[in-house]
Amino acid sequence: MDATPAVRLDGVSKQFADSYAVHRLDLDIESGHFYSLLGPSGCGKTTTLRMIGGFSDPTDGSVLLAGADVTALPPNRRNVNTVFQSYALFDHLDIAGNVAFGLRRKGVAKAEIRRRVGDMLELVQLGGLADRRPGTLSGGQRQRVALARALVNRPAVLLLDEPLAALDLKLRRQMQVELKQIQREVGITFVFVTHDQDEALTMSDRIAVMNDGRIEQSGTPEDVYEHPASRFVASFMGTSNLMTGTYRDGEVALDSGPALPVGARPGISDGTSVSVSVRPEKVWLSDFEPGMSVLSGVIRETVYSGPTTTYLIEVAPGVTLSVLEQNTARARMEDRWSGGETVEFGWRPEHCLVLV
Amino acid sequence: MTLLRLPSATAPSRPAARTRTRRGRTERRPRVLVAVTALFFALLYLPIAVVTLFSFNSKKSLTVFGGFSLRWYRAFVHDDVLVSSLGASLRISLVAMSGSVVLGAALALGLVRCRTRLGSLAGLIMLVPLITPEIVTGVASMLLFKGVGVDLSTGTVMLAEITFSISYVTVILRSRIAALNPEVEEAAMDLGATRWQAVRLVTLPALLPAVLASAVLIFALVFDDFVLAYFTTGVDPQPLSVRIYSAIRFGVQPTINAVGTLMLAGSIALIALALFIPRLFGRRGGLDILSGE
Repeated sequence: MDATPAVRLDGVSKQFADSYAVHRLDLDIESGHFYSLLGPSGCGKTTTLRMIGGFSDPTDGSVLLAGADVTALPPNRRNVNTVFQSYALFDHLDIAGNVAFGLRRKGVAKAEIRRRVGDMLELVQLGGLADRRPGTLSGGQRQRVALARALVNRPAVLLLDEPLAALDLKLRRQMQVELKQIQREVGITFVFVTHDQDEALTMSDRIAVMNDGRIEQSGTPEDVYEHPASRFVASFMGTSNLMTGTYRDGEVALDSGPALPVGARPGISDGTSVSVSVRPEKVWLSDFEPGMSVLSGVIRETVYSGPTTTYLIEVAPGVTLSVLEQNTARARMEDRWSGGETVEFGWRPEHCLVLV
Repeated sequence: MTLLRLPSATAPSRPAARTRTRRGRTERRPRVLVAVTALFFALLYLPIAVVTLFSFNSKKSLTVFGGFSLRWYRAFVHDDVLVSSLGASLRISLVAMSGSVVLGAALALGLVRCRTRLGSLAGLIMLVPLITPEIVTGVASMLLFKGVGVDLSTGTVMLAEITFSISYVTVILRSRIAALNPEVEEAAMDLGATRWQAVRLVTLPALLPAVLASAVLIFALVFDDFVLAYFTTGVDPQPLSVRIYSAIRFGVQPTINAVGTLMLAGSIALIALALFIPRLFGRRGGLDILSGE
């Protein structure tokens, strides 16, 4: 594996007026990875992407591409290409002209341009539309043109700024799979900006969760989801049943009353205020194992959504847990619980996250 | 020249028309609205129609039509002063059009991109020529040329017309530029274009319909401009509008009717061109000359 990261940000900051959009960011993106910058709007992820692309100058720090400092270079002299959120197609050129734009600027021979544009349009399944105008295409097709127009230049890094945000749900799911396939096929490093955690989880090799101009946590999708490093990450990545309490001797005494056995946590001293988080799908409603924390509560709400059912269970006054269950155990309607029933539920201690 | 009487048959004599609406009810179309509309168009176009008609008159009279002839067109073609004036007007219009479109487009780009306080001030000052009485700009231009010692000529008319046409171009193009997606220019740079190439290869083509529309408008405005031309022109050749004005002072020749009709035909051709431009770019719908949309 290439030791030099494809992209390295070294203490990069971007200051607008008197606030930081990005604050002293350090980031290494390994060559060939699908890397997602995930965070709520305003967290600085798009600004970070624009600084890698050269559209925005960092106030501080440096941007390195394949080991070379490009901080002072304009976009046209960086070996990266961008898929813009609005696609930014050239409406006065046909599809082939759009895709050929970058190759023409580089002075590639005409015959080769024609061949590479043709191949690229095949790759994104737009083979028959070469002479159409962007205005006549659907959203999904325009998205593919934007992708082809960037990829045909064989950049070292492809930057994607929420490219799927404008598509409807079904098309988005389909494009997620396709994008990932294309990325594997071409082997180019993708840096993908999104606010959609599902999207980041399904597509990425690495995810950096950003908040307030900083990276809260980076790692594999599994790392970030299963072992969130902060309350922010835990709550941003899916539903997380955050409860506050005090840690003492392998137990957390919740502010709302009950004490949860969470296992010994070296590194957390007794008496520390902590948050406890359990993912809804990690909560069991039957067949408990020895060593589980088992509590009881009252079902307040039942949300049926096809393959799964979500129960909202009140543990103590004002404390409600969300519990997700496959509709396998209680497949028939009459077996499912309904509101008002008291149920027992529990989880394995290792599924209970203790966040300081 | 409005010696004609309005024909009494302007209002339709048939009973109020009835139209069937989609819901099947019949609605009365008030007769008075039809009459007012007809009167409006009559007042607007009858004088022009009379000029056109009398340009084909075989007699010298401006009130009695003696039969069809091309006599006054022949007279115009052989009138060297009028022909050279037409040539001067065409040259002035073409130069003023090109100059003001280039400068106006550059100003519009600058005003949209430059978001400083100085930029918005420039955006306001730019509008002043649009509301200044033309007689003031005319006199001011003349005094300026005299003051710096430039002899008045076709060239000074061109300079003055360019100066006061820039605002129109800028107003038309500024809204179009503001509506452009800034990511498109970034995309061009992302794909290897320099800043200037991005403007030339992406921004200008996107603005082309509006640029052409403003060019047509400026050509038409400058071609029949009188006030500014009158104050800034030299003696020979004079722009057509000034020439006609001088000629009329010594009695109206029917040749003027022929010139007017030719100018009308030229204007209609220009407007047709402006309406046709969007079709060239594969757009549906017409083109609003003022907005370039």
